[in-house]
Amino acid sequence: MRSAVGHSVPVAVYLGLILIPVVLALDRLVFVTGSNPIEAIFRLDEHPLALEAVQFTFIQATLSALLTLAIGLPIAWWLGRYEWKHIGLIRAALTLPFVTPTVVAAMGFLALINQGGILASIGIDLRNETGFIGSLSASLGIENMGHIIALLLAHAWFNLALVIRFVEPKIATLPPRYEDAFRMLPVGTSPLERLRRFWWPMLRTSILSAFVFTFIFSFTSFALVRWLAPEYWTIESLMAIEGGAAGIPGYREDVSLLVLGGATLQGIVLLMALGMAGKWQQKQSYEIELVSEHYARKTIGKPNLLQKIGMFSACTFALAPLFLMTLASVRIRDRTSDSYRWSTEAWRYAFDGNLTYASVPEALMNSLFYAIGCLLVACILGFFVAQTIHSLEERNKPKLAQTIDVLSMLPLALSGVMVGLGVLLGILKVWPALFSWYALPILPHSMLTTPFVVRILLPAMREIDSDYEEAGKILGYNQYQRFFRIKIPLLKPHLVVAAALSMAFSLGEFGASWILLRSGAWDTLPVLVDQLMSRPKYFQLIEPIAMATATVLMCMTFLLFVIAERFRSHQGGGF
Amino acid sequence: MGLVIDQLNVRFDEHHVIHDLQLELASEEIVAILGPSGCGKTTLLRTIAGLQTQETGIIQLNGVRIEQQSCELRGIGMLFQRPVLFPFKDVLGNILFAYKRKRDWNMDEVNAIMNEMGLEGKEHQTIETLSGGEAQRVVLIRALLTNPNLMLLDEPLSALDVDLRRKIAHEIRSILKSRGIPAIHVTHDPAEAEIIGDRVVHWNELQPGDDDEE
Repeated sequence: MRSAVGHSVPVAVYLGLILIPVVLALDRLVFVTGSNPIEAIFRLDEHPLALEAVQFTFIQATLSALLTLAIGLPIAWWLGRYEWKHIGLIRAALTLPFVTPTVVAAMGFLALINQGGILASIGIDLRNETGFIGSLSASLGIENMGHIIALLLAHAWFNLALVIRFVEPKIATLPPRYEDAFRMLPVGTSPLERLRRFWWPMLRTSILSAFVFTFIFSFTSFALVRWLAPEYWTIESLMAIEGGAAGIPGYREDVSLLVLGGATLQGIVLLMALGMAGKWQQKQSYEIELVSEHYARKTIGKPNLLQKIGMFSACTFALAPLFLMTLASVRIRDRTSDSYRWSTEAWRYAFDGNLTYASVPEALMNSLFYAIGCLLVACILGFFVAQTIHSLEERNKPKLAQTIDVLSMLPLALSGVMVGLGVLLGILKVWPALFSWYALPILPHSMLTTPFVVRILLPAMREIDSDYEEAGKILGYNQYQRFFRIKIPLLKPHLVVAAALSMAFSLGEFGASWILLRSGAWDTLPVLVDQLMSRPKYFQLIEPIAMATATVLMCMTFLLFVIAERFRSHQGGGF
Repeated sequence: MGLVIDQLNVRFDEHHVIHDLQLELASEEIVAILGPSGCGKTTLLRTIAGLQTQETGIIQLNGVRIEQQSCELRGIGMLFQRPVLFPFKDVLGNILFAYKRKRDWNMDEVNAIMNEMGLEGKEHQTIETLSGGEAQRVVLIRALLTNPNLMLLDEPLSALDVDLRRKIAHEIRSILKSRGIPAIHVTHDPAEAEIIGDRVVHWNELQPGDDDEE
């Protein structure tokens, strides 16, 4: 396992997997547009909607990140400081949105804001913008204000878990004596000063990292924009909708420019954001001896009533869209009388597949096939890439290890749509036979998932005590026996987490699948939901069928989430 | 027969840790090496075991030169300062690591040695529930079941309290003697060295002409 070939093959396969489609796509787009990627950014205005999309993308991503912090920080603070009953359940409820497929999130928010939904019934009509929201929209002069608010709320809902994952462990495991010591100093007597001069420096990098990651996910949001703010374009959604016409010489050069310039701009922004987050995390390399979270919480005690109400509201906010989506699958609107009735009719339609190319069981089988394929490719490749990096670190070759580490992170700077377009324009136009290959979606899913596998397994490998390896040698085991009997069992919890998350990610992946799935027989659950929602709503069951399909997808994802949570360590934060 | 080490040199970059070291062990002999922390005792054991690369020198075990052999082929057992038990297995699972294949399992032998070491009834306990002394006993059983040609004891009792240390030191000596396994025990505790060793040598006696090493 330590031979040069053993190291270079998986790394070469992985780099080939992520670089070849992107390089081929770039080559084609440069040829068609006659511009290099940077020039293409400055020619974006040749597409009638591009500049508007760029502007909206930056504004909504920044506002979404700020709103997420505003909602998430108090929750992370309460969760990390106080002794909560059933903290595991609270954490799981607050994390759930982040593992929810974006299509499910979109359906959940539609169920929340739709006519006849809870928000509309209390006078907050974000969908049709009547009443208070309509007045607000008119007074600010912003069209479709309700849709923008819904989008920002959905982004905050989706990314809430990021703030909690980054910030809460830092609060929960910091030894109380640090704060106690600070309180004894003259500057530490005022709570505001403690916040400014103690907690902010302690939590700064986690908060900024959470901001950056929320910004990134909102920047590349597609399903939520498509369904909650359909009048607006982000770079991602515009590329997805228009991208099919790109890369054809002499035809719609503006679209090729949009994809080349848009993807380059998006790639640069994401790389810069990831670089900044990495730098902040590195800056915080000073080591603080952490304590068990139970110990730290015990010293602060139990939450008061206000904090309990706050936490209950947060959990309700996290769960309500999902609950309402499930409810909307059995609540059928009567178009003539505008009343509602309860029925499981939509579920029957969903399972029969009368209105779509594929039925729910067929789409589920497709989704599972792609998810298992993604699991195998991403986990095997991710394992060996992490093993290579770790092995190079151990053999005192930090520069090479760091280079491969950085390269392994590259797909994090690519969105689902970018990867889908990369495969479409890069590989398929060079090798069109792939168009008819059923397993094709495994390729983009694996490209997007492998970096997460590396990020889960690499720290775990670093944590394994070298004593175990030496004990195996002393017992006479050769390197293969040590690998299978010692290393794999030691990594098992992390491998289970990586496998469950890979499958969950693949099941919910929308952007790349939406671009690449060209045959109804290949439809996955998220694409099926989108297909249903795109149909004219003349038939009252269309939306409930989409909700039922999304509910099936949600249940599958949550099952994997529960498996991952059982094995995941909560110390340390991050992913 | 036994162990012969001649002109052994080990270097970490510029630091010459072991300098022309010489040591001979008769078959079935237990030698206790006494020396202060950081003098190179652990490095010596790791080099004999094959976990540490040597610069020059000869290591001969039962008449066979082993210094070029990989660690897993040397047939040496070793107890580290901190007991290394695999967290994903219970006590019995850890002990059965002594056998490479399931078909080699000898449960009569396992049960007998567990009884001898006072671990009967603890087969299915998780390793976190073991005391320090019990954990070292499990590691010792596992090492003995591999039928080693030589046992290396790297201060395995240093984390235990004095009474328990003495008790387990007697047990280790008795079990090694009953099986005729030669051993090198390194420690900085003279009393422990006296209990385990047939012979006690001081670290600086092993490196002639290097009295100022420490």
